[in-house]
Amino acid sequence: MVGLDYVANAVVSGILIGSVYSLVGMGLALIWGIMDVINFAQGDYMMLGAFITYWAFTLAGVDPLLSVPLSFLVTFALGVLTQRVVIERVLDAPMVSQITATFAVLLMIRYGAEAAFGPYTKRIYVPYADVIFRFGTISLQLPRLIAFFVSLGVAVAFYVFLKTTYTGVALRAVSQNRMAAYLMGINVRKMYWIAFGIGVGISAVGGTLVATFLPIHPEMGGFYALIAFIVVVFGGFGSVFGAYISGIIIGVTESVSALFISPSLKDVVAFLLFIAIILVKPTGLFGTEQR
Amino acid sequence: MLQFIKEGLSGRNGQYFLIVAAVMLVAPLIFWKLDLPFAANAMLLCLMFSIMAMAWNLLEGYTGQLSFGHAVFFGVGAYTTMILMLYYGVTPWVGIFAGGLVAALVGLALGVPLFRLRSHWFALATIAVGEIFKLIFISWDYVGGSAGLQSPIVPEEQKLYYLQYAGSYVYIYLALGLLGLELLIMYPLVRSRIGYYLQAIREDEDAAMSLGINPFKYKMVAMFFSALFTGIGGGIYTVRFRFVDPFAVFDLISVSVYITIAGILGGIYSFVGPIVGSFVFVPISEYVRVYVVSRFPRFYGLHVFVLGVILLAISLLAPEGIMGWLEKKGYLRKREEGGEEG
Repeated sequence: MVGLDYVANAVVSGILIGSVYSLVGMGLALIWGIMDVINFAQGDYMMLGAFITYWAFTLAGVDPLLSVPLSFLVTFALGVLTQRVVIERVLDAPMVSQITATFAVLLMIRYGAEAAFGPYTKRIYVPYADVIFRFGTISLQLPRLIAFFVSLGVAVAFYVFLKTTYTGVALRAVSQNRMAAYLMGINVRKMYWIAFGIGVGISAVGGTLVATFLPIHPEMGGFYALIAFIVVVFGGFGSVFGAYISGIIIGVTESVSALFISPSLKDVVAFLLFIAIILVKPTGLFGTEQR
Repeated sequence: MLQFIKEGLSGRNGQYFLIVAAVMLVAPLIFWKLDLPFAANAMLLCLMFSIMAMAWNLLEGYTGQLSFGHAVFFGVGAYTTMILMLYYGVTPWVGIFAGGLVAALVGLALGVPLFRLRSHWFALATIAVGEIFKLIFISWDYVGGSAGLQSPIVPEEQKLYYLQYAGSYVYIYLALGLLGLELLIMYPLVRSRIGYYLQAIREDEDAAMSLGINPFKYKMVAMFFSALFTGIGGGIYTVRFRFVDPFAVFDLISVSVYITIAGILGGIYSFVGPIVGSFVFVPISEYVRVYVVSRFPRFYGLHVFVLGVILLAISLLAPEGIMGWLEKKGYLRKREEGGEEG
């Protein structure tokens, strides 16, 4: 029998890692919701964020927390470039072309990074890596705690941006009705650049946060992309906090199920959950394409 | 069935086919005489991916179901052949077909839930299924867990029984035979009534249903043959490389996505497109892998990066693939699609 304190610990660590899943999922949900394009390369932009942080830390000694804006801005620029060069051209193409185009971006980023940085696992040792807080039987690593609060801050900032700024409102308008937004004088093309840029930028922040407490690798994006898909189908589109909460739920589910079944099988639970959700979720939430 | 084969071999396309077949039969002899192991190995991989990409295309090109989970059938086929040989001493001559059959049964079992999904939801679910199979095989001790399984080392006189030959030369003929078998089954299948049903489902599933076609039933037929030949491709992998491990055979990128690239590159709306695609992308990827990546391990990943560039170029510039592009430009005469049966 698994003790209650183990469960409590698993829940807490699930919440903390889940907050990173949330960021990747939110970025994916934004792009998916606004452009109806599935960005398979989402996890790889996150990897780029992690590596930007790694190089800033290793080469210039920049603290990972200070490189959050750096990693966001660099990935934002790359995202706008991707949108202009690739995604724009396949927006009205058949589904197969959209999927293969983003898969091509995935292959180029993931394996381009692998060829450039070497196929090695890297790790950042921040000075505060071993600071641990204890509350009764629950222990918290400082980097994970910081990651949680930064992720929460980013999510709140993103929410405020969508609700209050002109660009945010315009983004939501474009996602609701592209033609109507266009007729209202919104530059839809520019909104798509911004949406893709922010979408991958938020994921890159997730990568930066993960780099402070987990090893990073050029192929790490594959796992996080799959998690992001689970987060998005679980939380649905449109709602920022829906994706945020569902990321945390996935994190908790994963870490608690690791207590009861073999750790290597814990991801099987997550993937089965994913298939189960898309099978049973009723039509309304996903529009008309699904039965 | 015979009439379709006779029809396929008649006319200009039939002549092309016979010429290509003759070249393929002679090529390994030339590679062997001139001692070109790299060319032979690349040709074997081309044929292996041709078999699987053509099988994959029955689902995508004809039925409109984009699968990123064909590594499941490849892996199941590879493992079945290996386990029958290693644990039960069954010859791969039987094991390869048994692997295909087991893969086909797995395909049918997966089809029941997955075919309830449409368009990108199906694609996403197949990715998840692939990952689930990989994770299960990693922690399943009977199949060797994460270490995988290795073929038995057999004495010289049993090499025909265990299909163990040096180099790729003999396996090329095995793969050619299996590709021939696939063409013999697939060509009549897509030219028959079922082929037209599948295309109707691809174009508009609801309209097909309103005409009395049961989409689920025919998707399952497509899945059966698709998984069957992908599993057979896995069997070829086992006898050639003599080592099966879950990370290699269930890999999303180097199996499922490679098959997809072969299909997309060649052209999914063309019967021979996937074969053309395999023969274009595999040599490029193998060349970079063997001559650059193996010599400079530091640049591991470059061969996949190159594939990314190819896939991006084809997605943006010629989404109809090489064969579609050639037809559009008028270099190839489009076969007249008559519905003599449907």
